Amino acid sequence: MSVKEKDLSNWQPKILGFACNWCSYAGADVCGVSRFQHPSTVRVVRVPCSGRVNPHFVLRAFQRGIDGVLVGG
Amino acid sequence: MVAAAQHPNITLYTYSQVESVGGYIGNFEVNIKKKAKYVDYSKCTGCGICETKCPTKKVPGEFDCFMGERTAIYKPFAQAVPNKPVIDNKSCKKLIDGKCGVCAKMCPTGAINYEDQDEIVTENFGAIVVATGFDLIEWGKFYPEYGGGEIPDVIDGLQFERLVNASGPTGGKIKRPSDHEIPQTVVFIKCVGSRDVLKAKSYCSRACCMYTAKHAHQVREKIKGSDVYIFYMDVRTPGKMYDEFYMRTREEDGAKYVRGQVSKIFQDGNKVIVRGEDTLVGKSVEITADMVVVETAMVPRPDATQLAQTVGFSYDRDGWYTEAHPKLRPVETNTGGVFLSGCCQGPKDVPDTVAQASAAAVKVVAMFSKDQMATNPQIASVNEATCVGCLLCKPICPYKAIEAKEITERAHGETVTRTVASVNSGLCQGCGACTAECRSGSINLKGFSNLQLLAEVDAACL
Amino acid sequence: MKRIGVFLCWCGSNIGGVVDVPKVAEAVRTFPGVAFVQENKYTCSEPGQQAMVQAIKEHKIDAVVVASCSPRMHLPTFQKAVETAGLNPYMVEMANLREHCSWVHASEPENATTKAMDLVRKAVAKVAKLEPLFESYIPVTKRALVIGGGIAGIQTALDIADSGHQVVIVEKEATIGGRMAQLDKTFPTLDCGA
Ligand SMILES: Cc1cc2nc3c(=O)[nH]c(=O)nc-3n(C[C@H](O)[C@H](O)[C@H](O)COP(=O)(O)OP(=O)(O)OC[C@H]3O[C@@H](n4cnc5c(N)ncnc54)[C@H](O)[C@@H]3O)c2cc1C
Ligand code: SF4
Ligand code: SF4
Ligand code: SF4
Repeated sequence: MSVKEKDLSNWQPKILGFACNWCSYAGADVCGVSRFQHPSTVRVVRVPCSGRVNPHFVLRAFQRGIDGVLVGG
Repeated sequence: MVAAAQHPNITLYTYSQVESVGGYIGNFEVNIKKKAKYVDYSKCTGCGICETKCPTKKVPGEFDCFMGERTAIYKPFAQAVPNKPVIDNKSCKKLIDGKCGVCAKMCPTGAINYEDQDEIVTENFGAIVVATGFDLIEWGKFYPEYGGGEIPDVIDGLQFERLVNASGPTGGKIKRPSDHEIPQTVVFIKCVGSRDVLKAKSYCSRACCMYTAKHAHQVREKIKGSDVYIFYMDVRTPGKMYDEFYMRTREEDGAKYVRGQVSKIFQDGNKVIVRGEDTLVGKSVEITADMVVVETAMVPRPDATQLAQTVGFSYDRDGWYTEAHPKLRPVETNTGGVFLSGCCQGPKDVPDTVAQASAAAVKVVAMFSKDQMATNPQIASVNEATCVGCLLCKPICPYKAIEAKEITERAHGETVTRTVASVNSGLCQGCGACTAECRSGSINLKGFSNLQLLAEVDAACL
Repeated sequence: MKRIGVFLCWCGSNIGGVVDVPKVAEAVRTFPGVAFVQENKYTCSEPGQQAMVQAIKEHKIDAVVVASCSPRMHLPTFQKAVETAGLNPYMVEMANLREHCSWVHASEPENATTKAMDLVRKAVAKVAKLEPLFESYIPVTKRALVIGGGIAGIQTALDIADSGHQVVIVEKEATIGGRMAQLDKTFPTLDCGA
């Protein structure tokens, strides 16, 4: 059975986010404050700046089976 | 104004600009350029004889929004602080081609010095408060349908302020610029350039609803029997006594509020025709006016972004300076030791400006209440044992916190010197950009180290 | 190995109304390094903080995870709290169960509960690697620079000067006063501008 034939209609990608404390992490907080509902499969790692995100971290996340990585800054 | 000039703890550097800023919170080193004034303020008594004698009399005056004229040696206005003149080197004949020198001959104290030069002084500060205010949008560029700024009797709000001001070019009589006649029908248009996503700025300029009501009141008060029309989208009056003020303008002064936008303004003989619509009755309207005042959007000063880069803090897409948090840290920037005061942070009126100004002052005073301050320990540190001294990290650092350092060590029984990177703990803001750059993993961020973040990644990916 | 204490906050019903906090607590007890787990109605409140301080002392906890709201809001609060308990203030990490979880997944409580566990696991993993950090001190030059001499700059300068500190105002134009000096009368009182 190829991947395409699987029932993917309920599949949600698991996403790891790296969020800058000063902008995107704050943005995610605002998102909470405004009760903006979104899929519960995102996990956010707080970093002091998107510049802190070493490409190594991204590769490691994929190695560990994450479906997508979002770097916000 | 005078209180500031007289305060023993305040030093005024007028005609001056910040050239560069080094250092960090608690210890800034600032170069200030004092532009040549050509007048020695230690001798000048401010008597003003020079101004009356200067033969160059037809320089368009900035302070009067170019509706009046000034001399080449001038005080911006009669109550200027300090109350002493400067010579504008772009219009002074003596400074342009050496032919004049009248003011030096007339000055009773010998204060004039045509040889004066710009001077740079370096001073140290613990905190910086930015209070550079606002400008009005160059509305002509955005609204050709309003005559693009070419119709003389279509003016902006600041020009109107000068026309009603007793110390303005008309001595406080509202006379229109073209023929100095007193206008009988005056049209005000609000939100020109504000709240206009398509053509100009998306934001509300906050003070204009109220000062338009003030302007309408002033016209009705000063010109008996005049007609005042105000085109508006809506009227925003959130403030103590604000709505009451607006209602008085409507009801007691009889200003006519027309809800709708203006589509065209053009000259017809000595009249200015204003075409628009009244959306409340669903009809188009045409008003034959003597003068039109466009109440335009506030925008940052033209050099605002440049100053932000010089000092090192952030601004938004419109060029307003960004506060560290819109609710919880409204007068701080994200740069330690740099604070915001007044309209440079965004449009506001005088009460809000003053409140914010005092808030910024308190933040500074709180900082100064201690002799020393704790620094954030979550900063970069170099593992000198593995650092190869490539200094790839150095240009990456946005705060210029990384320097080369020579260390001596014993290797194979010999003393050798080698270069490693070194982080200035006062300058480092802990962004961690350097850590991602380092090939040997020798520079790490305390509190957000490679190991700590990888542990988080691993745990989150389970 | 560190003895990690995890403090789970209900935030009234803000978190507890969506996330099954007792279930999260049960899972958290099994995470490596976790020596102590406590639930609280409001961890940031006075009694909440006291309970935390007491637990840290009693259970010899040397690193703390607070699973509650955003660290942008309350990290400084909990840093102070653990400091009173004798810990280094940099031995705290927060898991954001409110802004990043209960508030945004209100309609899927089960998934929110799973996510809450993940967020705590992540924080525990980081805390396990934390090291104490120490602030250093730098001297402060007690002199302020105000750039711009409009009403804003003047007011700021006067307030700072009145509290006894030196202030320099750098103004681009030949006079201070800014826009306000150009105005005639000002609303709402219609007194003079200059
Ligand atoms: C037409 C009009 C009418 C108004 N009427 C009222 C009213 O009736 N009531 C009311 O409450 N508000 C009114 N306002 C709003 C009021 O003008 C502002 O709230 C107030 O002036 C803001 O003060 P500020 O000090 O922030 O800015 P500004 O007054 O703009 O002062 C900024 C100062 O900084 C200087 N500066 C700028 N850049 C630099 C630089 N790079 N280096 C050094 N110096 C620099 C400028 O020269 C200026 O002196 C009106 C505004 C307009 C446009
Ligand atoms: S004449 Fe001399 S003293 Fe008088 S205002 Fe001019 S420069 Fe100053
Ligand atoms: S020297 Fe310049 S400033 Fe002085 S009187 Fe002549 S033109 Fe005016
Ligand atoms: S952490 Fe950021 S500020 Fe500090 S040295 Fe590295 S790049 Fe510069």
